Amino acid sequence: MAAEGGQPAPKSEAPAEKKDQAQDQKKGSKDQTKSAAAAPAEGAGEKKLSNAELKKKAKEEKAARRAAAKVSQPQPPASAPGQAGDGAKGGKPKPKQDGQQAGNQHGGKAAAPRSAAPMPAPKEAKPSVPECFSHLAMAKGVHLTHADKDVHPAVLLLGQQMSTMAISDSTTRLEATLLAFKKVIDSYTTPHGTTLSRHFTSHVLNPQIVYLTACRPMCFSMGNAIRWLKLQISKIDIDMADSDAKKLLCEAIDSFIHERITLADVVIVSTAADMISPNGDDVILIYAHHHLVERALLRARADGKRFKVILVDDPFERVGLAHAKTLAAAGIPVAYAPDLGALRTNLQEATTVLVAAEGMFSNGAMYARAGTCDVATAAFDLGMRVTALCETINFTERVSIDSLTYNEIDPERNTDEEFRLLFDTTRDKSISAVVTELGICSAKSVPAILRKLEEL
Amino acid sequence: MPSVSSGHALDLEKFLKSLKGQPLEASINSLISLLKRRQIKGSEPCAVATAHILLQVVARSKWHDVDSLLANVSRTGRKLVGAQPNELVIGNIVRRVLGLIRDEASEDRGDTADESASDAPTPTDIVPPASSQQWTTRRLDSASSAAPAARPPIVSSYSSINPPKSLFHLLSTSPPADGDVSPFRNSGASTPTWRGNSSQIHALRSEVIDGIEEIKDEISQVDDQIAASAEVQIHPGDLVLVHQPSTTVERFILRAAQKRKFTVLIAVAPPRRHSAESQHATFRKKLSAAGITVVNVMNGGLMAYMSRVNKVIIGARAIVATGGVVADAGAAAITRAAKEQGTAVVVLSGVYKLSPESPFDESSLIEWGDSSTFVSFADGPLVCGAEIRTALTELIQPELVDTYITNLGTHSRDHLSSLISDHYKREDADFHIWEEAEP
Repeated sequence: MAAEGGQPAPKSEAPAEKKDQAQDQKKGSKDQTKSAAAAPAEGAGEKKLSNAELKKKAKEEKAARRAAAKVSQPQPPASAPGQAGDGAKGGKPKPKQDGQQAGNQHGGKAAAPRSAAPMPAPKEAKPSVPECFSHLAMAKGVHLTHADKDVHPAVLLLGQQMSTMAISDSTTRLEATLLAFKKVIDSYTTPHGTTLSRHFTSHVLNPQIVYLTACRPMCFSMGNAIRWLKLQISKIDIDMADSDAKKLLCEAIDSFIHERITLADVVIVSTAADMISPNGDDVILIYAHHHLVERALLRARADGKRFKVILVDDPFERVGLAHAKTLAAAGIPVAYAPDLGALRTNLQEATTVLVAAEGMFSNGAMYARAGTCDVATAAFDLGMRVTALCETINFTERVSIDSLTYNEIDPERNTDEEFRLLFDTTRDKSISAVVTELGICSAKSVPAILRKLEEL
Repeated sequence: MPSVSSGHALDLEKFLKSLKGQPLEASINSLISLLKRRQIKGSEPCAVATAHILLQVVARSKWHDVDSLLANVSRTGRKLVGAQPNELVIGNIVRRVLGLIRDEASEDRGDTADESASDAPTPTDIVPPASSQQWTTRRLDSASSAAPAARPPIVSSYSSINPPKSLFHLLSTSPPADGDVSPFRNSGASTPTWRGNSSQIHALRSEVIDGIEEIKDEISQVDDQIAASAEVQIHPGDLVLVHQPSTTVERFILRAAQKRKFTVLIAVAPPRRHSAESQHATFRKKLSAAGITVVNVMNGGLMAYMSRVNKVIIGARAIVATGGVVADAGAAAITRAAKEQGTAVVVLSGVYKLSPESPFDESSLIEWGDSSTFVSFADGPLVCGAEIRTALTELIQPELVDTYITNLGTHSRDHLSSLISDHYKREDADFHIWEEAEP
């Protein structure tokens, strides 16, 4: 990727030059035809002369342009030492025969001692992420033209959707990824002299994963599923026919989606709905929007339960408005608080808090939308029950004790002017119960569930 | 906040200009409607407006002795408090002025009519005349130690309430007191015998006016005095989080920026439906001119940042007697997050914002705002189906605050009660309640 990042500047210059050349040539030919058309009566000698002159001119122009290019090429690395570094990185594995490479290397060498002095320059060049948060990942998005040529069109589309946050929820991303991989498998044919289990992962699957990760850092569930998928691929018998192997893999993916996502969601939704008291005195406080919470509430309402909902929205991403509308349309009385103001008062009125997790760490910490931790902690202070909904596919063996270990920066708000983290980490002490497809457990039992899942 | 407050400053200025040309009653009424319409809002404008109007009350209303002055001031104050009960500052200023009048009156009495004052029995009240200082000392004593050794001063102060010769003096001194003042009124009890002649009244008037001017000066200097302790609090390399910085907080940070290099995170207010301008732009510009990195944080809950943040600075709208802080909505979540990570929470506030009231119900201090700020009225299903709760202010629990910085210095929570007793008279603590029963 580094090579690609460094490349665009010279590349974009090169086509421009070519265009110029092409235009010049066109002009030349036009001139030729014009002169030929305008003076057919004049002597042929003049015509030849003009041709020769044109050729000479063209040669001179070319030479001038080359000279200009040589002068201009060392300049970009000098003005942007960050790019020079990238170029140097990319330069090593690159073949030497490239004509531009020579110029580039010269430039790079010349710029190398210079780049040491203006160190703050690259920071100014990209004013983006404040330094104290620069270690965090961010969905950068990869332009379609910069994507690896091996990336499948379905994956290309998915990557764009992910980088623009059109698909942002962890399980939705997982499902979309697996479906896209199915298409990749479908369109794959094993080249001669190798087998699917040895060739597919390294040569076809990995570029897709690299591209998706570049578009937006993978969520835990995607990491888990890809690990599983690679295991399935490696298990395929090398003697198996290509079509059979592909069919086997696609079926495995289908059943994985069915078991770990679709069915899991159904179980979680019905378990969570059952937790709501049928007496009609429950007031449930929810934060922002998550499809599991929404489905659980709608399911409980469909079961004939009467309860009230207090929806506290994320003030900078008003996903709760539509959610409140859906709930109100289903006949659930909704109180909508646009931000965390008066949170305690809202909580005092509520009987239970229902949140959904983006992931669970093996120390029992919950990774969820930024602000969830504030709600959960305040609820814990008031001695309230905080229930988290999460599919086990989102469980990870990683451990996080603060919110800045694993987090993501909002790609649209990543500057000093506007900065926003997407997630935060809630410690296990403020979570009363985690509802998974395997049942209701405590946050502390995440590692036990992970072990159990390994055995399966 | 700056853009908003400038709009309100205009209204405040207009009001202050209109004071001279109008009759007193008219300007009181116009202030009441300005407060009700939230055209004057925020603690400092409210405090300034209250001080000005009370100055007018002292200077221009009809009064011929201390009691009628006290009655005038408290009547006006009661109206103002009723107009905007969420602004505790209004009540604070009224109490300050009432206390000021009592002090001046007792000084005068001390000069002229010492004996009769000290002997004067009070028909209904526990508060001895001219013993406000005794009262505070007694209160402190009884608060600080329950030991019987601390009793003697209390006994002596009680003896002034029930003097042995009371019967005789009751007869001799009470008729003039009952003549023009209601016997029920506590305030009347403090100066039953004070019969000022015109020169004394004139002197009292000018002294009280001077005192109110001092209060006004104090309000205007608060920001500077608070900023003076900025360097002590903010250290080089700190990551300081401020929540919707008020002018006080901005001055504090800017003062620290002159000497120190640190990073400021601004927790900005959620974007309104219509406005799109960058918030705190001028503040940011000034800070970056001083070489300070400023980051606008667009998160509602700030738990994620707290492991990095060294200090949280909150500008108070008011501080209640328990140490709870009334602040902009969202501050409570931030201070709770700070507590979770052990980050220090510093509250900046002028002493005039420190209120002797302590609310029984914390939700009574929440000011609910316009629901259409975030939800459009055109959005039918939501308007019909959901109850919109937009909180503007909320109460920060006292145990979440580590330090209070006022214009008098840096205080801990335990010290607030003595600050309160320094600034307010016990008699005035409930001034807005005790006259409601009278008519």
